[in-house]
Amino acid sequence: METQEVLTKCIRKDVWGLISFSAKTTLFLSVFCLLLFSSISVEAADNENCLMCHKYRQIGRIDEEGKKRSYYVDENIYANTTHRNVPCRDCHTYITKLPHDPITEEVNCANECHIKPPFSKENFSHKKIIEVYNNSVHGIKKEDAPELKSAKPHCKYCHLNPIFTRVQEERIAFDKTLSRCLNCHEQKGVTQAYKHITHRLRHKTSRSPKEIVNLCSKNCHQEVDLMKTLKVSHESLEAVETYSQSVHGKSVALGSQDAADCISCHATNAIHDIYKKDDKKSSVHAENRTETCRQCHTNVGDQFANIDVHSKLDPEKKPVLYYMNTGLTFVFYGSVLGLVGLMLIETVGRRRDGIKWQIRRGTTWRGISKIKTDIKKILNK
Amino acid sequence: MPGEPKRLEHPKSVYVIGFIFKIITIAVLIGVTYQITFSHHGPGLLIPVQKKIEAQQKSAILEEVKRQEEYEKHRHFHNIVDFPSLPEASRPVCYICHSDYPHSKNKKVRALLNMHTQFFVCETCHIEEIKDTDIVYKWYNPFNENPSGPFFGTSYNQDTGNLAEVEDQFSKIAPYFRFGDNQDLAIKAQDAPLAKDYMNVRDQLTPEQRDNVKKKFHVNIKAKGHECKACHAKKGILEFKKLGFAVNRIVDLEQLNIKGMVTKYEKFYIPKLFSD
Repeated sequence: METQEVLTKCIRKDVWGLISFSAKTTLFLSVFCLLLFSSISVEAADNENCLMCHKYRQIGRIDEEGKKRSYYVDENIYANTTHRNVPCRDCHTYITKLPHDPITEEVNCANECHIKPPFSKENFSHKKIIEVYNNSVHGIKKEDAPELKSAKPHCKYCHLNPIFTRVQEERIAFDKTLSRCLNCHEQKGVTQAYKHITHRLRHKTSRSPKEIVNLCSKNCHQEVDLMKTLKVSHESLEAVETYSQSVHGKSVALGSQDAADCISCHATNAIHDIYKKDDKKSSVHAENRTETCRQCHTNVGDQFANIDVHSKLDPEKKPVLYYMNTGLTFVFYGSVLGLVGLMLIETVGRRRDGIKWQIRRGTTWRGISKIKTDIKKILNK
Repeated sequence: MPGEPKRLEHPKSVYVIGFIFKIITIAVLIGVTYQITFSHHGPGLLIPVQKKIEAQQKSAILEEVKRQEEYEKHRHFHNIVDFPSLPEASRPVCYICHSDYPHSKNKKVRALLNMHTQFFVCETCHIEEIKDTDIVYKWYNPFNENPSGPFFGTSYNQDTGNLAEVEDQFSKIAPYFRFGDNQDLAIKAQDAPLAKDYMNVRDQLTPEQRDNVKKKFHVNIKAKGHECKACHAKKGILEFKKLGFAVNRIVDLEQLNIKGMVTKYEKFYIPKLFSD
């Protein structure tokens, strides 16, 4: 009886909405429609009404270690994310009671959720890609030192709950193609599914190269002290620095959407299969490098692929490159600074001659040279 | 002008071209200077100096706090939008010591209690009643004497069923003392004279002196706030209707919408929580 009472109370809010929507419907039909509406709304995944509390942005606390913890989930954003139909406890399995106990576990993305993807009878899971990831250089291995284990990124470190966004790509005729899909499929699901697929068509990821570089660098690969404690190779230690000095790094820093970012070279389209370069599975292994370069530089050969992308200008290891670069630097700065210097010397000289500096009437220099004035004075005398 | 050299008589286009070239020259000069001094793509002549200054100003605490905040963004996974926050001077004085997440003692409900700070100021819950003085609850906005709403949390979006999005991000329910026809705000902002004075001299005070001053901030403040039932009930302290809440929202707030929780959770003890 108690449960029934609670449920009755809960659906009252929606009843109010329906009364305004159609005063002519009977109460029975209102309740029926209400349940139907509930089943297709945002609350479909939130059948336990977790958002009753978690939709407020101030829900959070400072934990015992002094860390700020936010438990906020924006319901409007959540309704447009990939996981909108996944019940909260499919991921947060450790929540068993209310109020919750302090959380000690992390979400395991390899869990099966109660969603059956199209053309499949099995519950959805990220297991397959997690297997790829676990085998990659970022996967936690038994032999890893504790500090390395804790430093390796987990799924959530790189991924935010993805939002369905329509790709801004002219070659994908969104409206035309989608309208053909709608000939057979219902709009609601197929629109989301179409966005889900198309926004991955342009690049390997939907993030910009700059975002990818920032993600890999910030708090991780660019932190030289951290990398040293993890005992990475000397090349890896300088990877961010050498990349930022390369033509790829500079193009990305200047806003290029086509220049290579980290995963353009270090992963295949599976994205998560990043291996050390000595590993034959690696996309930057000597045997695979040409194919990797050909993703952008079509028709190039092995010689092109041997160009050092993460080149460090070391006078001992690469003297020719180092001295060429130093020479060109001198030529560049020498030209610009020499020109400015000459202008300054000329200016000082003219001032010393007594010529006035005026920015008007079409010239910056006016008046008669002091020397000429002196000569005139002598002649007049 | 007779007598002046012809070279001074330039057409207007020359002025325009000259101006453009001057701008280009200045831009190149600035770019080259930056390239030589601070850019990581050039020799970076002044980068060691910059690093030295930064190292002198380094704070281990500040760095750790920033690192934790960054980590929390990665840990959270659900997309978090940045909301505008009040400038320090306009924030209630309580935040000087108690922060955005003031509740920490009761482990079961601290996050839930902190959640309420989105809707009302601390005093709304922790105000000590004064004998023979009425307390009125109204929306308070530090930038607007008479905020008219719509306020966040007062109504649902009819299409989505979610809470309606609003422009007013700062209004909160606050208590006012009623003296006859006058209503005095019962809270103090950080730009109040006492708060400003305290901020200036607090480092010079001994711990005992600081405690004494703090007591002045807690006049009419009780440590334990209202119980849930005080508001989440019919005829509660807050008159939801007068405060502009929609009818269906009032029903939810008065009865609490706990659909599914009773049956789906292994243990469910919100009722006990209410009686604590």
